[in-house]
Amino acid sequence: MDLIIYGIVNSITLILMSIGFALAYGVSRVPNFAHGALFILAGYLTWVFRYRVDLPYWLSIILALIIVGLVGIALYQFILIRVRGMPISEIIASFGVGLAILEFLRWSGLRGTAHMLPPFISGTVRIFDVPLDYQRIIVIFGGIGILLFLWAFTTFTKTGLSLKAIAQNERAGLVLGIDADRAATVAVSLGAVFAGVAAVILLPLGNIVVEMGYEVLVFAIAVSVCGGLGSWKGAVLASFLIGFAQTITVSFVAPHYHFVMALFIIIIVLIFKPSGLFGRQKELEERV
Amino acid sequence: MPELRKERLDRGVKVRSDSIYALSSMKEILYLLGPGLVLILLLLVLPLVVSPYWQRVMAITGVYALLSISFGFLANYVGLVSLGGAFYVGVGGYLSGLLNAAGVPLILSIPIATLLGAVICTLLLLPCLPLRGVYFAIISFIYPLFAGRLIAATGYFGGTDGIPGLDRFPSIWVALYMAIFILLIVLYGLSRMVNYEDVGLVFRGVKDNELAIKASALNLTWYKVQAVFISSAMGTFAGAYLAHLYGWVGMSLFAIDFSILPVAATVVGGSGTLYGPLLGALILVPASESMRAFGTLRIVFYAVLLVFFVVFWTEGILDFLKRKYEQFEHWVRI
Amino acid sequence: MGISILLLLPLIFMWGCGGQETVGGPDGEPIIIGVPVPEAFSYGWVGERGIRLAAEEINAAGGVNVDGVMRPLKLEVIDTRDLEAGVPVSEALLAVERLILEAGADFIVGGPARTEALLPTLDLVNEHELIHISSTGSFSPRSNQMVEEDYEKYKFHFKTTCWTFTMLGDFYGVIDFLNEEHGFDKISIMVQDVAHARQAGEIVAGRMAEAGWDVMDPIVYPTGTLDYSDGLLRARRFGAQVLFVWMDMPESVIMMRQYRDMEIPAVPIGFINAAEHPDFWEATEGKGEYTLNHLVNAGNAPVEVTPLTMPFVEAYKERFGVEVEGYGASSSYQAIYTLVDAIERAGTIETYAVLEALRATDMEGVYGRVRFDPDTHLVIHDLDPAQGAVPQIIQWLDGKRETVFPPSIATAELQLPPWME
Repeated sequence: MDLIIYGIVNSITLILMSIGFALAYGVSRVPNFAHGALFILAGYLTWVFRYRVDLPYWLSIILALIIVGLVGIALYQFILIRVRGMPISEIIASFGVGLAILEFLRWSGLRGTAHMLPPFISGTVRIFDVPLDYQRIIVIFGGIGILLFLWAFTTFTKTGLSLKAIAQNERAGLVLGIDADRAATVAVSLGAVFAGVAAVILLPLGNIVVEMGYEVLVFAIAVSVCGGLGSWKGAVLASFLIGFAQTITVSFVAPHYHFVMALFIIIIVLIFKPSGLFGRQKELEERV
Repeated sequence: MPELRKERLDRGVKVRSDSIYALSSMKEILYLLGPGLVLILLLLVLPLVVSPYWQRVMAITGVYALLSISFGFLANYVGLVSLGGAFYVGVGGYLSGLLNAAGVPLILSIPIATLLGAVICTLLLLPCLPLRGVYFAIISFIYPLFAGRLIAATGYFGGTDGIPGLDRFPSIWVALYMAIFILLIVLYGLSRMVNYEDVGLVFRGVKDNELAIKASALNLTWYKVQAVFISSAMGTFAGAYLAHLYGWVGMSLFAIDFSILPVAATVVGGSGTLYGPLLGALILVPASESMRAFGTLRIVFYAVLLVFFVVFWTEGILDFLKRKYEQFEHWVRI
Repeated sequence: MGISILLLLPLIFMWGCGGQETVGGPDGEPIIIGVPVPEAFSYGWVGERGIRLAAEEINAAGGVNVDGVMRPLKLEVIDTRDLEAGVPVSEALLAVERLILEAGADFIVGGPARTEALLPTLDLVNEHELIHISSTGSFSPRSNQMVEEDYEKYKFHFKTTCWTFTMLGDFYGVIDFLNEEHGFDKISIMVQDVAHARQAGEIVAGRMAEAGWDVMDPIVYPTGTLDYSDGLLRARRFGAQVLFVWMDMPESVIMMRQYRDMEIPAVPIGFINAAEHPDFWEATEGKGEYTLNHLVNAGNAPVEVTPLTMPFVEAYKERFGVEVEGYGASSSYQAIYTLVDAIERAGTIETYAVLEALRATDMEGVYGRVRFDPDTHLVIHDLDPAQGAVPQIIQWLDGKRETVFPPSIATAELQLPPWME
């Protein structure tokens, strides 16, 4: 039973980590390699507002999310927009920005183990005799909430629909008067906010360390690639696949094989189904 | 105020030396050979004039330069964007280290590790060869991560401690000139191959038009295998070389820096040729090294510099220099 | 645009090339001490602070008396980045070479911290015939074993910290006490996925099984794990009363929080990097209470070992504004004093003379008597400060790090968590 419950928690953790990345790539084809840095930035800003400026917790979170969203906009408007269409340049530019953010945070004092966010509600409940703390329950609902929000946003709002249109067929979107750059800005900044939301939900489980920024990036890429680049459904499915595989490995093999297992799955999936589980690219494009 | 625009014209000497008339005078021949000669001379003379510490930096730069050329060759001429530099380095380093620890002298262990390592890398990458573009990039990026974690998890090959106390090069001169000669040989051999040999033409076909290759009854995978073998041999040599430069092998030979830096070097130096990545590596590694005094802030400067190059100087240094070398600019009235 | 970058580059180069610092003090020709540490990690910056404090004190007191000439110490600190995951160890080795070749270091003290980087450093100092004192980071026995196996080649390496074997002995002391006092006989072991930790886990498992304990299979967690619920649940099901943990990653805080949230009925004891630091209490919001932690060397938390300990602890607080932070501090501070003592006895900074003087070291230090083992060049350990370097196991009680082991320096009684009653 604890296998299933913690498997779900792990899978949703992966969803939270990767959904922002998948969104930005899905809509604007921008591989935002600063994703992990934005994640840590949001967590650290929340911590700064909460403990150094002494604001209430909820206000710190909102401020941090707003700032991260603005950073996302700036990232697209000032940097990525200039290298659109050159994938390697996009990757290096965004990775460079992420590297600069992370290492700057490290330099300005984000080191050691002192940086922690408190859980929203502390305490533990037992579900089917498996103890589960409230923060992990919040993770589950947070993950589901984000997915619902994303679904509603892309189904009912005009901006959301325009994002979807651009993702499906950029030329047709342009013909209908959708500004591709505006859509991409929204997507990147929304992706950044999602990274921030993931950070404030996940970081109370642990502590804020720079290394985690790199780890989040690797997981986000892994999940998105495995699920099929740009497909949210695929990312969700891949999260569950990797999440459960990891939990099972931890329980039945040994915990230190859990990362090895994740990488192994990705390699296998990519070899046999290169466009991912739900890839929307035609097979021919990447395989001849 | 009259409106002006910049006009570029080819230099006379460039136009003359474009054709057979290049042979007509020493000046034209020098113009053509100049850049190559300057590069060779610089590489040969520089070790003699820099301080012992910068000699070490040069040796490390050589490692990254080889990786960058290997990346550039595969990406620009064969169309496979491989982020597996760290994988090649790790395989080459560990093979040479294990052989050396078993008593094989480094003069033998390095070449064996280079060739055997390249065979191993090629075989392991074989299932992924049908992939293209970003898919091949990501899967090759994951290989070194996987290998590193596997060594940590199983504890084989010294586990997280690594294997220290291997043979080192007898002196820094041997190490340095070995790197430089290999670098020059690789550059000369590769540029001959891709520019003048038939196989170079086929490689470009693999990149630009796979159907044409198939239609010519050529075995596509076989050519990709050859290209990956050549490129990974450069990487495995770099790894074996690095292992004996410091007399150690360890998990960090699979560090992602080895995969990322070649890409950055290509972006900074300019893509499209073998010399762009080389130039990029020759600039980036010493630049990073000379900023060491900033402590942890160094990486921030490095990253900012990188973004700056990528975003505002997209053509790359090589193309910029080439343009200056071949053309002159002047203002004309519209 | 392009030209301006080209002009900018040399400027950056030149800017980057400066970067020496004198600590200030007497006017003889300075003795240069190279300090390679990973500055972004606690082992690095805590070790650096210990070294800096000692050097400043010595310079303020007139410097080092080298055969009648008072010479100041000059520190050359360099960031090695060796604990960062994506960075190859060659980067750290290059940093050490820079200290030797460019900064002209006479001695190397401090790191590198990662074992994989430390071991090839032994070859580097051998090549340049320089004394190297490892005073923070790695406590894999490997480097000392190398000294023992090939003394001629690796004799330049000394270590003022500790290795796994002695630390394990200290743990047995505490665990056996728990067995006698409370009749505990079930232990569960959780370690990080690095060689020294796994080795430690296996040795402890073997030793405890021999002593008649029920031992759960050691659980190995990869670096950076965020969820320990699985192992903790297994430990609870197993009925473990002692939880042996060996992890030097910041995420171990998560484990301690989960431990408290689940109220696992076991005493957590081990080497937990996060639980060393004074801010552990704040970081866990008090959930880290009752954690027992090995600080490697005494003096890494306030305690009275020798008359020198408390002055060091107070000076550290005054200089850096925080209570002495944990592993790396006292051993690095001591390394400088031990080195200076050896130089003064040798009357020269010539390597071989100092090497012999170091081997003959016998002095009172912040963590007890300082002598080096002639075979391994590791500082000799003992539970009695009059005999050797003393370890320190603390328990977090009411927001303070109280020393519970060894008995000779204990400040409080070991307490069981209330939910175990």
